[in-house]
Amino acid sequence: MSMYQVKPVSPDIKIDLPTCMYKLPNIHTRQENSCSSDHALQNGDVDPAVRALEVRQDEIMRKLYELKAAVEGLAKTVTTPDADLDVTVSSSLSSQSSSCDIFKATKNLDALLGKDLGALRDIVINANPAQPPLTLLVLHNLLCQHYRVLSTVHVHSSVSSVPPQLLSCLGPKHADSYARHMFQLGFTLIWKNVPKLEMKFSVRNMCPIEGEANVARFLFKLLAPYPSDPAVATLVDSWVDTAFYQLADGSAKERAAVLRALDSALGRGPWLCGTEFSLADIACYCCLSQNGSTSATAANVQRWIKSCENLGHFGPAKLLLK
Amino acid sequence: MTKEEANGATEEEQQAQSKKALKKQQKEAEKAAKKAEKQAKLAAEQQSADEDDFAKDRYGVSAMVQSQQKPDRALVRVEDLTPQKVDQLIWLRARVHTSRAKGKQCFLVLRQQQFNVQALVAVGDRASKQMVKFAANITKESIVDVEAMVRKVEQKIESCSQQDVELHIERIFVISQAEPRLPLQLEDAVRPDGDGEEEGRATVNQDTRLDNRVIDLRLPKTTTSQAIFRLQSGVCQLFRDTLTKKGFVEIQTPKIISAASEGGANVFTVSYFKSSAYLAQSPQLYKQMCICADFDKVFCVGPVFRAEDSNTHRHLTEFVGLDIEMAFNYHYHEVIDSITDTMVQIFKGLRDNFQTEIQTVSKQFPSEPFKFLEPTLRLEYTEALAMLREAGVEMGDEDDLSTPNEKLLGRLVKEKYDTDFYVLDKYPLAVRPFYTMPDPNNPKYSNSYDMFMRGEEILSGAQRVHDPQLLTERALHHQIDLEKIKSYIDSFRYGAPPHGGGGIGLERVCMLYLGLHNVRQTSMFPRDPKRLTP
Repeated sequence: MSMYQVKPVSPDIKIDLPTCMYKLPNIHTRQENSCSSDHALQNGDVDPAVRALEVRQDEIMRKLYELKAAVEGLAKTVTTPDADLDVTVSSSLSSQSSSCDIFKATKNLDALLGKDLGALRDIVINANPAQPPLTLLVLHNLLCQHYRVLSTVHVHSSVSSVPPQLLSCLGPKHADSYARHMFQLGFTLIWKNVPKLEMKFSVRNMCPIEGEANVARFLFKLLAPYPSDPAVATLVDSWVDTAFYQLADGSAKERAAVLRALDSALGRGPWLCGTEFSLADIACYCCLSQNGSTSATAANVQRWIKSCENLGHFGPAKLLLK
Repeated sequence: MTKEEANGATEEEQQAQSKKALKKQQKEAEKAAKKAEKQAKLAAEQQSADEDDFAKDRYGVSAMVQSQQKPDRALVRVEDLTPQKVDQLIWLRARVHTSRAKGKQCFLVLRQQQFNVQALVAVGDRASKQMVKFAANITKESIVDVEAMVRKVEQKIESCSQQDVELHIERIFVISQAEPRLPLQLEDAVRPDGDGEEEGRATVNQDTRLDNRVIDLRLPKTTTSQAIFRLQSGVCQLFRDTLTKKGFVEIQTPKIISAASEGGANVFTVSYFKSSAYLAQSPQLYKQMCICADFDKVFCVGPVFRAEDSNTHRHLTEFVGLDIEMAFNYHYHEVIDSITDTMVQIFKGLRDNFQTEIQTVSKQFPSEPFKFLEPTLRLEYTEALAMLREAGVEMGDEDDLSTPNEKLLGRLVKEKYDTDFYVLDKYPLAVRPFYTMPDPNNPKYSNSYDMFMRGEEILSGAQRVHDPQLLTERALHHQIDLEKIKSYIDSFRYGAPPHGGGGIGLERVCMLYLGLHNVRQTSMFPRDPKRLTP
């Protein structure tokens, strides 16, 4: 070498490298060695090993979530009778579509509503915006699961304006709503200044039905028949009336009495009228929540409220109450 | 007896004559004396009258206003006569609604459009007996200039619009005198139609009203005509405002055209220099050309001429058409939504801002208030057929709705949905004009719609055919001469967007909104096959 060589200044000094740090391969030496495309770190590409790791991690997380959901579902099933697969749970699972097993028979609309004259059978409900009919919203939800229902909301000229949640209470507009004849049933809700809720269906053959309880009974019959045992049917009817006359419209004393009755009835079974979910449960739940008395109640009633909510049909009603 | 006898006789005669003459003279003298006495008396009275008429220059018939002078005088409006103006000396010009003399006083009611006020001329130091007499004799409807002191009244004057004050007249001049015999009496014209027949008092029938529109329209707002036309003005205003807010452009289309647009039968022909032309039946063609010229959304307000020989309660040969046309993106329901929203905004505007007018009209022509739904109810033709069949009407699937069926359908819809305004969609293709777009899924039906108010049709509209090929096919199918509509078809050959629209008649909408029964009540100077004046 032609350069001037300097003798090492300090011979044999031992350097203790710290062992707690990562050891990186020497960047410079690597450069000289490689010809393989091992490292191609261009444009933010991830090292395939890291990618594989990420994929594994995602897989594990997904399985964890599924497990969690399944456990929750099972927990709810244990506490809530009659719900094999919960609507709220199924929406978090990817592929399953739940069918509501509560109402097992799909009825023949022609038998119930009269001969099909080739046009949409439109049920018209006139409701006062000051007292939104929660039971009917719940029943509408159930109807939509059974039939192709065209739902529309109108505001009558007797009412000057209506809060926006009342306009969207029947859910988003169906994609095919421009073609009325493609639907089996029409559900037209008109917010109007009426003293009492009324329903009109066939003006020639039917007189208007007045009162939320009666309209609820009519709509429920489209979903499932009343229990065949007359005693149970009467019980359902009496609970519906109690709900509307005493829970919704009654004084505080009456309401307290009803709550006590509810408590004792629910002590005997999971639902108000035995082992089947019925109109009575829908009516009582809605009237209770309208009063806001869902919080401070007895244990049985609390359990029953939770079961109702787990069924997922009361979603629209709860939205409206917010 | 000879001459002497004759003489004697003539003497006698003469004597007799002179006696007669004397008597005659005497009589004449008496008469003259009496006459003189009378004249003297009259003169004396006159003089005394003249002497007593110290107010001679404070009343009278003014010379015709030919713009002789320009006095710096402010005239107060009757509606501004409130207790704030008490003890002020003001001038005003109004019509004499009534005048009633009572001994030494004369009560007048002075009217200006819908406002009226009580005025008083009393014998005193400002007014003389002659002035009171003059005031009492002013004919009704004359226009007068009055200088008066505004005075507060203890008891409210119920019969006038200005109830807290009355005028004490100091000077009154007639500016324009009305003839003493009016062709119709205001009290009669104001009376609701039903009442008069029962009590035997006269009501005025429609023809008399229309022949004397000038007086008929003067009826103050406490009755009807002004209210109806103010409401009509409101409809037009709301139409323009709503559409402008939605981004529409107002266009003016020609009314003298070369080819009949809707069909040859109902069109007026005019001589056009050496050839002839037609009066436009609708601005259809020009609206569509504007859309092809990329105006996107247009509307126009203008007269429409239909030579239909129909003498019904709802047809006029000339009326004001409010027409809309717009391009849409994918579905013609966008057009329906736009039109129905405009109509609902108009109804809301009328409901919120014109309640006094609506109440005024319903006092003379009682009817139910107009009801509607928002968003507007839209039924399909098949549903309407089902409803009518259920009610016992027999109709084929592709039949058009006759007028009684339309009315029945209106009643059925009102019973079920409680709305006076709705849209009927998907009419059968066979009953619509050739430029209507057929339904894509069912060739029997079309993308067309009608809108109804109180069971009567007010708008006919559709998605238009924008493809020249299909348009030619449809025209041939309807056996229309292609030569006559060549320019129409040509306008779509250079790229035309899908579009649709419709048109309403202003008079019919007003009539149906107020629940009146004849479209002539909402047209100021109506035209029909039997009426060309005023």
